[in-house]
Amino acid sequence: MPELTRRSFIKSALTGSAAISLSGCTLLPRKAGNQSPQQYTGAIGLQDNRFAVSAIAPDGRMLWQSPVGSRCHSGCIRPNTAQVVFFERRPGWAFYVFNSESGDRLHRIEAAEGEHFVGHGVFSPDGRFLYAPANRYEPGEGIIAVYDSQRGYQRANTFELNGIGPHQVTMHPDGQTLVVGLGGILTHPDYDRIKLNLPTMKPALLMMDRLSGDILARFQPSHHQLSTRHVDVAQDGTVYAAYQYQGPAHELPPLVARYRNGRYEEIDFGAATHRELGNYIASIVAHPENDLVAIASPIGGTALIFNSRSGKVIEKAAIPDCAGVEALAGGDFLVSSGRGKLVRMGKGKPAEEIASMPVQWDHHLV
Amino acid sequence: MTRLALTFLLASSVAVSPLAAATANNADSQTIEYRKQWHSDVLTGYQNLATQGQALSSQAASYCQAPSPEGLEQTKQAWLEAFLAWQKVRFVDFGPVEQGNRAWQFQFWPDPKNLVARKASYLLKDEAPITPEKVSESGVAVQGFPMAEYLLYDLAFANGEEALPAGRSCKLLLAVTRHIADNGQSLANDWQGFQSNYLGSDQYTDTTIRSAMAGLEILEERRLATPMGLRGNGKRSVYSADAWRSEASLAAMGASVQGLKQSFLPAFSKLLTDRKQPDLAEQIAQQFDEVLANFPELDRPMAPLLADDNGYKLLQSLYIDITQLTSLVNDRAAVELGVVRGFNSSDGD
Repeated sequence: MPELTRRSFIKSALTGSAAISLSGCTLLPRKAGNQSPQQYTGAIGLQDNRFAVSAIAPDGRMLWQSPVGSRCHSGCIRPNTAQVVFFERRPGWAFYVFNSESGDRLHRIEAAEGEHFVGHGVFSPDGRFLYAPANRYEPGEGIIAVYDSQRGYQRANTFELNGIGPHQVTMHPDGQTLVVGLGGILTHPDYDRIKLNLPTMKPALLMMDRLSGDILARFQPSHHQLSTRHVDVAQDGTVYAAYQYQGPAHELPPLVARYRNGRYEEIDFGAATHRELGNYIASIVAHPENDLVAIASPIGGTALIFNSRSGKVIEKAAIPDCAGVEALAGGDFLVSSGRGKLVRMGKGKPAEEIASMPVQWDHHLV
Repeated sequence: MTRLALTFLLASSVAVSPLAAATANNADSQTIEYRKQWHSDVLTGYQNLATQGQALSSQAASYCQAPSPEGLEQTKQAWLEAFLAWQKVRFVDFGPVEQGNRAWQFQFWPDPKNLVARKASYLLKDEAPITPEKVSESGVAVQGFPMAEYLLYDLAFANGEEALPAGRSCKLLLAVTRHIADNGQSLANDWQGFQSNYLGSDQYTDTTIRSAMAGLEILEERRLATPMGLRGNGKRSVYSADAWRSEASLAAMGASVQGLKQSFLPAFSKLLTDRKQPDLAEQIAQQFDEVLANFPELDRPMAPLLADDNGYKLLQSLYIDITQLTSLVNDRAAVELGVVRGFNSSDGD
């Protein structure tokens, strides 16, 4: 049975826990932003439906790999500490707090009764409060669940989003405003990940005061099926939102929006590029050191960098199953894929594969 | 950093450049031929589903009008034929079948919480009349083959007070089979209406290949390996399979492979041959026949085969054949054609 053997080999090569192999340069580049520890943490898929959260060092060594009960999605670094939090993916019944240096699991915090997490969260700048988008699933209400890390991650507050299906949250550089992608899609854990309200979705980009929970602004995309999932904010305060279009594949609406100077605008990359993105963006990251923004689409197997002011695409690479994006010191980006690749992309140079590992990176790197 | 000034609280969306109109003129003249063939072959499958769904609905109506043991058997047979018609086109996971979660309406599965039985019990005990509208608003667990299967086959239900042909149970069976028939008909119509977009958009070639790959992977991993105890907790359990109540899990797998052979393989073989892979195309066609050679011997209940080591060998043999087919399509052909299903792209967030 040569085919069976070959397939087994491929499977084990993709998912085994063998040593990391690095091609090209042997050093991973530094992460941008001086607050972050010099490592990358991501959720991974392993062999036999096992899952873990894993950190790798700038020199490519796997620092730690900590098993978790189910597939995780994304997480966040707790500022001023050696802690990193990861969330189970939708419907997420728990989040995990790890020591980011050792990988030791410090906490596993379960979602409150009747709620589940959605895979994302962010800390207040002082590292005390964790803001986690969640779904109150019986009534189908999106909320921000607030946890107090100084009190063992007890629940401290709940903010209403007046909408359905929150996904990513990030902190505006003003330190006060939460930026939330409201996907607009109703789901219920009894029904797997079935989208229950495609005709009546109301996605939005939301701004919320992190202390009062007041919604400061709500921007709606140009089509009600442009699920607003992922968000980022540049150092100058420009807010970016990335969509996942729920309509048919032959329609090619804009997939990225930006908010600045009081205007919410959608950026059109043109039909050919939208086709390459497969109407789906998994991550959007504005570089803290320049005016470049990177996005990745596993559906389209495409990652690209565009100029934040002109909206013009300046670099593009075909990377199968790419999803995670990180900003690197010096102005480049790092893109991760479900096939274990780490690819460096930057202005005016070809995309470069810097590592290939026997793991499947889930959507985001932190 | 100063506080973000938010003066325009509800700015309207302003497109930087006009929204790109979907272009129908992008069609790749080479791949449109494959899509023509796929469109026609899937349409044949959808029309068969519409016909069998209609036959099921009519048979259920005759049975409930004049119940008899023979009528019940005939209704079960009609259910099975319609269900197998669905299995043949189940791999198509794009286009009109996405609208309104139609695929889920036809078959809500997996159902680890046994929602189908819970929903049936709730609807049958409720006072409200059981109408097509009631079924339409009750969610996908109520609307398709598994609900009709529960009413027709579930052993505990058949021995209870509400067993067919009890009034409310018959009303539910009628409404559900009507819903299946209507869905089948509108799916076939909508697929015809989808033709120009499908032919006009080159990306549907990859989409179609990915849908077959996903169908094979679900078949191998979730429909077969999981109940065989090769995944998850390692326990053999027929309840992890679909259609265990009707004992049609294996027959349904045979139908799905048959459906891929009829509706997917012809254009796919041509595409592979045109891309200078005639040997691979031939190997894949042969492997389809290898899998199908397990049938009709395996058109039988799965549970006894899981319970008996000799019977289990038959499942292992089917599993190996399906694994080899999946490998040829999802690994070999996918690499040759550059069509890949991934960890993130197949189930993202």
